[in-house]
Parts: sequence; structure tokens; C-alpha cells
Amino acid sequence: MFATRNDTHARRWLMVTAASVALVAGPMTAIPAAAQDDGAPQTAPEAGEGADASEAQSTEGGNDGAAATEDGTEDETAGDAASEDAGDYAGDSPVEQSISAPFEAGATYEVGSDWPYWGGGPSAQRFSPLDQITPENVGTLERAFVYRTGDMPEGSAEGKYSPEMTPVKHGDDLLMCSAMNILISIDAATGDENWRFDPEVPNEAIPYGASCRGVSLWTDPDKAEGDACATKVIEGTIDARLIAVDAATGEPCEDFGEGGMVDMWEGIGERVPGWYAVTAQPAVVRGVVVTGAQVKDGQAEDAPSGVVRGYDARTGELVWAWDLAAPEEMRDGPPEGEVYTRGTPNMWTAATADEELGYVYLPLGNSAVDYYGSNRSEVENEYATSLVALDATTGEEVWKFQTVRNDVWDYDLGSQATLLDYQGTPAILLPSKQGDIYILDRETGEPLTPVGEITDLPQGDIEPDFVADSQPVSEWHTLRKDPLTERDMWGFTPIDQLWCRIQFRRAEYEGYLTPPSTDPYIQYPGYNGGSDWGSVAIDRDRGLIIANYNDVPNYNYLVPREVADEKGWKSIAERQDADGGSGGGAEGAGDPQVGAPYAIQVNAGWRSGLTGMPCTNPPYGGIRAIDIETGETVWDQPIGTARRNGPFGIPSMLPIRIGTPNNGGSVVTAGGLTFIGAATDNLFRAIETETGKVLWSDVLPAGGQANPIAYEVDGEQYVLISAGGHHFMETPVGDYIIAYKLPSE
Amino acid sequence: MTTYEDTRGHGVSSSGPGWAVRLLAWVCVLFGLVICGGGVWLLLLGGSWYYALAGAGLIATGILLNHGSMKAVAVYVVVWGLTVLWAFWEVGMDGWALVPRLVAPTVILLLVLPCIPALRRTRSRV
Repeated sequence: MFATRNDTHARRWLMVTAASVALVAGPMTAIPAAAQDDGAPQTAPEAGEGADASEAQSTEGGNDGAAATEDGTEDETAGDAASEDAGDYAGDSPVEQSISAPFEAGATYEVGSDWPYWGGGPSAQRFSPLDQITPENVGTLERAFVYRTGDMPEGSAEGKYSPEMTPVKHGDDLLMCSAMNILISIDAATGDENWRFDPEVPNEAIPYGASCRGVSLWTDPDKAEGDACATKVIEGTIDARLIAVDAATGEPCEDFGEGGMVDMWEGIGERVPGWYAVTAQPAVVRGVVVTGAQVKDGQAEDAPSGVVRGYDARTGELVWAWDLAAPEEMRDGPPEGEVYTRGTPNMWTAATADEELGYVYLPLGNSAVDYYGSNRSEVENEYATSLVALDATTGEEVWKFQTVRNDVWDYDLGSQATLLDYQGTPAILLPSKQGDIYILDRETGEPLTPVGEITDLPQGDIEPDFVADSQPVSEWHTLRKDPLTERDMWGFTPIDQLWCRIQFRRAEYEGYLTPPSTDPYIQYPGYNGGSDWGSVAIDRDRGLIIANYNDVPNYNYLVPREVADEKGWKSIAERQDADGGSGGGAEGAGDPQVGAPYAIQVNAGWRSGLTGMPCTNPPYGGIRAIDIETGETVWDQPIGTARRNGPFGIPSMLPIRIGTPNNGGSVVTAGGLTFIGAATDNLFRAIETETGKVLWSDVLPAGGQANPIAYEVDGEQYVLISAGGHHFMETPVGDYIIAYKLPSE
Repeated sequence: MTTYEDTRGHGVSSSGPGWAVRLLAWVCVLFGLVICGGGVWLLLLGGSWYYALAGAGLIATGILLNHGSMKAVAVYVVVWGLTVLWAFWEVGMDGWALVPRLVAPTVILLLVLPCIPALRRTRSRV
């Protein structure tokens, strides 16, 4: 039942919200803050209790508004469209803003001179309205500064770094985290360090890789500028702490948790460093800091929970917990002596905040054991690999949309979903690792673009009753290519091509969604996407979605338990007892999947053992522009040159655009350019958004596996990328933050 | 090319080709065995027939080279020519896909052709 503390919180937020609606003229007035539009989860008496405060204050209008939306009446959607315009797309020129309005009412930071969110503006469109840098002048772009965080792998962290970091720009500062979660503020124009805060994360906490994709900001509406922690920088760490420091000074916020920190291990169970780690920035919605965590894949069915939690941005107190297997029982945290439901699907990537509706959209991954599903609970199957909308103030589910049924392919949703106005409807765009792109009504989760069904899928011999015989696909757009044939085999010489062909013929392969088997089988697209955590960008000026993607199969086989035991494959918990080591290696390469009858061996990228070259034809990655009105491809180009890749690991030095695997997204600017690193060639490039032509590039000192940003200082536009490298992408590791601008006149 | 002529010029062997031709011969046999063997395996798995045939052609080229026979060149030119036809038939003008299909066979062609003068001399002596 609803505990007192939570109830208080719910009431408090709702009351503040309702009050603010009355006070603030602006987009938020279009939508009553407390509107629970689809009503589905609101039938529980607990919800009634939580909502009565708002009903008293915000009047019946909330329910009326919701009904109107369901009926599809025009003015509601028009209101939304207008607010979208006024929000993320406040014209082409950067907007000066001050964040003094009550934040709970949905006041958001605006993208323009600032890049206040990981995904740019509040809609996570990775779009900048800046237009000083254009296709005409981009050729003269030069480095403005290079800042080095100083965070490089030492000792056991060697070979485990993949920072993937994108800073936010707020006022004069860039705020960021390093691979090991050191929070840093630098001057956005000069790269001079303002402050740093080192939470001293130990090496053994490194999960699959040391990553900190970014930080989030929250400005306290009750504080004046200059007060301690008036604006907080919030990060989740790989040792599972939620940390808040003062954006101005880097001092931990004493009013947040214990000395600025909240321990996220609480309620998770036994502390096994590296098993439970936060790598994405939290989403802050109406003063609630929402975060999931990465649960290291493939270790054991009895793994940390995939619980998603909301914390009070002011105090760090738990506002709600969403344990998908026991949402009511666990809402205020697990009862004494219990833990959140073990092994459930988790959210390791970035959620999207929706201040207007008060929702948070969670792209969920799979259950803890990816490649065997028969032991999963019904409720896990219902939620795995779904986008779930929660009411961010209460933690109650609003809707969900599933992209894979009974996932045995590790097709976690990795991309941050993007808010947009789609043909007059407030919508959310969801790309998947399978390459499918869906557009959903963000109030109801109903698809706005056609969703098809592929049927008569192979179910295999391992668990035919579990593997689904039909799956949803997007009929609007997919980045997925045709199934492989023998002639798609590659290699560098006829001998490794022959060996790849033999592997192809020996493998179980019945096209897309071939189920796992103990014989080698091909999974295509592989688990790296399609679209991964870099997500897609939207050029609303030109009506384009810019999506970079991987085009790489995995070559896998299940390993029976006794064979895995003979090989000595152990879960992270068992290894911890033995030698305390964890991390490194490719995901899925020898994962024990303890509890399941099979372990898993993944050859990610399916490479010939002979020359190390891929077994399939290039390209291995591309970037595509999609017309947002029609879903048609406008252009599609390989991304990444062959300069750093070649047989036997020897760089070929060839400047040919072969199309490499890539990780990290793009920033699209109003100036007509798409900036992206991502590929394994260590180039940071500017692509003409209308044509796909690469107009400019710079060689980074390390891998550019991170989303770039654009911002402005003193009337000058900057683009910035962190070159941190990536162990799995096999690019050199670095600690560089590199900003570019046009030469000063 | 001079290498081969020098070899022959020294008259190291009067009963067969020089070491360079023999080396190439053994390279062809070795790669031929691997490709033919793997090709038969692939054929049995239901895959392309090309590798078994090309491998056999490469073995034949190697054996003939070892015997100092000019037929080696003829056989290999046929193997190479059919390889080119097969490659374009299979993947068309896809440059990347042509690399593993054409580069190595062409390198071998460029090694076999310079054997002609040496083979001529060998033949004249046999």
C-alpha cells in the first residue's frame, strides 16, 4: 500500500505543479499537470489517494483535457504543437534564458547558446538552432581549445575505458563527467578548468566499460542565484551512487542525500562491484531525478534488479521506485529485509523527460540473461525491450510499447527516445537496435506510423515454446538491411573469404531473428544495432531524421552448462570471490548466464579468425537521412573511412569511405550541417545535412565514440566532441575534450 | 623478371625450373590444397562450387610449374579469367566485394606471368 512518505511526496509535487500552472503563463497551461490521460493504471485506489490533492487544486479540467485528447479534438494537439515550437525550436537564433520560473511547472532549459541536456533541448532531438557554421564556411573550422580531463586508465582499468561522454553547456560553462565519474566544469570558450569533484570510484566498479555518458542539470526554483546548489549537476556513477554538486563551485550539495550522494545499492542486494552501474545521465522531470542502471549482461538470472527509481532533486530522497515485477509493493522501496525483484529488464540508457505531460520515457533492455528466456517471469516478458512511459511524479505506469517479444537476442532498447510533433500530435520517436523506427503518440503509446507483424518465425530447438513465432516491425522505416547470403561473405583473401563462407553455411541462419542454438548461429543485425545509445537526431528545419547505424552481424553459439563449467566461465559474483576482477572483454563473449542451462559465446562483428577482418562485406556502418513526413530515405552513406582499419590489425591508411562500425550519435545544426564522430576511423566530420556529403573532417587524437554538441559563447558558435576512445570499438583511449569554431576575424 | 632469368642464367638446375619458379609452384600447391579442400567442404555444405574448382586449378598450376611446363601459365590464365567472370557474376561492380575475390588471384597472375621466359628455357632444355 501507499506509504506515508511517498504519499506526501506525490501530494507535494502535484500541489506545486498545480499551483504553478496557475501562475505561469506558457505552454504548460495547455496541459493540466495532473492529467492522467489514458486512465489505465489510475484505477487503483492508491492512485486516487495520490491524485486528490491535484484534483482539488487543478480542478476537473485535467480530466476533461484528457478526454478531449482521447477524442482527438484539435485544440489540445494544437496547444501541444505550439508548445513544442516554443520549447525546443524557439526560432533559429539562440535564446537567452534564465531559469527562474518554477521548475516543476515544466520550465525547461532551452537549446541554443546552451546545450543544457545530454540530448540538446528538452525534446532530445540533438538539434541546435545555431547557424553560424554553414556548408560554405565549415572548411575553415579550427580547434578553439583542447581540454584534457586527466582521467586515463590505470592498473586494472586498462582496456576497460569507454567514456562515451557528452557535456552539457550551461551559461559560460561546460559540465561533464570523466570515465570514472569525476565531475568537471570548464569554461566553454577557453577550456580552462573551473572546478572538479572526484568521487573516487574504484577500478573494480568498472562494469562492462568505464562510461559516463553525461550529467543532468536541475535548478531549484526556491533558491536564488548564488545560493549553494541553486543549480545542481547530477550524475549516476558506475559504483551506483547518485551525486549532486553545485554547478557553480563543484561542492557536493549537502542537502542532497548524505553529503551530496545517494547510495543506489540500497534495496538491490549483495554489493558486487561492477554488476550494477549507472552509465547514463538521469532524466529530471518535475523535480524528480529518474534513473535506472546498467546490470552487467549475461552473468546470472539471479542478478540485480532492473528497478527504475525517482529521487527528489532537492533532497535526494526516494520519491518512488518502479519495480516492473512488483510495482505496488516496491513503490516506496522494498520492505525490510527484501530486495527489488532480481534479474528484471533494466534501463541502462538515457530516459527522456517530458515536462509537459510529467512523464518519463524509459527504453528498457532485456532481462539479466539475454540469450535464454524460459526461466523469465510472465511480467518480465511483458516489459522487456519495451518503451515504458511512467508518471514521473508518482512512478506509475502510463503506457508501454514492446519492440521484441521474448527477446533472446540482446536487442535492448539502447537509443534515447526523441520528442517531436508528428503531424500535429505530440509524439515520441523510438529507434531500435534492430533498426526499426517507431513514432508513437506520447500520451497514449499508440503507434502513429504503421507497425507490421512478421509471422512464421523459426522457433529453434532450444526453447521452441518460448521463442515467439511472430514479432512487430516498423513498416514506416527500418535501418535493417536484407538478410545475409553466402555471397555477402568477405574477408581479405580468398582463404578467409572461403572460411567465412564455410562458417556461413555451417551456421543456423534463417534470416532476421534466427533463434539461439548450440550450433553456431547468425544474429543480424547484431546487438550493437541498428541504432544504439548514440540515438538519432532531427533536423526539423529540413524535416529529416539523421540516423547513424551499425550494419554488423554477430556469430554466436550457446554453450551447454557443463561445457561452460569446464571452461571455467563464472558470473561476476563468483569471479569476485576468486580474484576480484571484472569488466573488459566484449559483451557476450563467454558470458556464463548462471541459472540458465546454457552460457553464450558471441563473436561480435563476426570476424575471420585468420586476418581479423570481418566476415561480411562492407559497409559496417552508415548514416542516413529520412524524410520525417514520408519515412522515405533521402540519402544513405557509409560512415567512417578505412584509414585505421586493415588486415591483421594494420591500419590501411586508406582515406576511402568504407563504412565502419560506429557508436555515438550526431548533432544537427540549423546551419545545415551534421557533426559526427562515432566511426572507428577517429575522424570528427561535418556532413552536409541535405546531401550526406562530408565537407570537413579532423583527425581526433582518440576514438570519437561520443555524441557531439553545438553551443555559443559571445556570438561565436562552437561544436565540441570528446575523444575518449572505446575498448569495444577498438579505438585508442583518450581524455580529450575538443571544441571547434570558425577563425576569429 | 630478372630474378628468374638470373636463376636460369646460372644454370643451377638443368633438369627443372629455378628456385623462384619452384617456390611459386609450392605456394600454388599449398594454397590450392587449402582452397580446394575448403572448397569441397563448402560444396558439401551446399555452398559455392568456385573454390573447389579454383583450388584444383591452383594445384594443377603448381604441379605444372614444378615440372617447368608452360601449360602452367595457360592453366592459371584460364583459372584467373574464370575467376574474374565468376566474381563479376557474383557481386557485380561492388568494389569492396571484389577485393577478396580478385586481389589475391591477380597477385598470383602477376607472379606466374614473369615465369614465362624461365619456362621457355626449361622447356627448350627438356
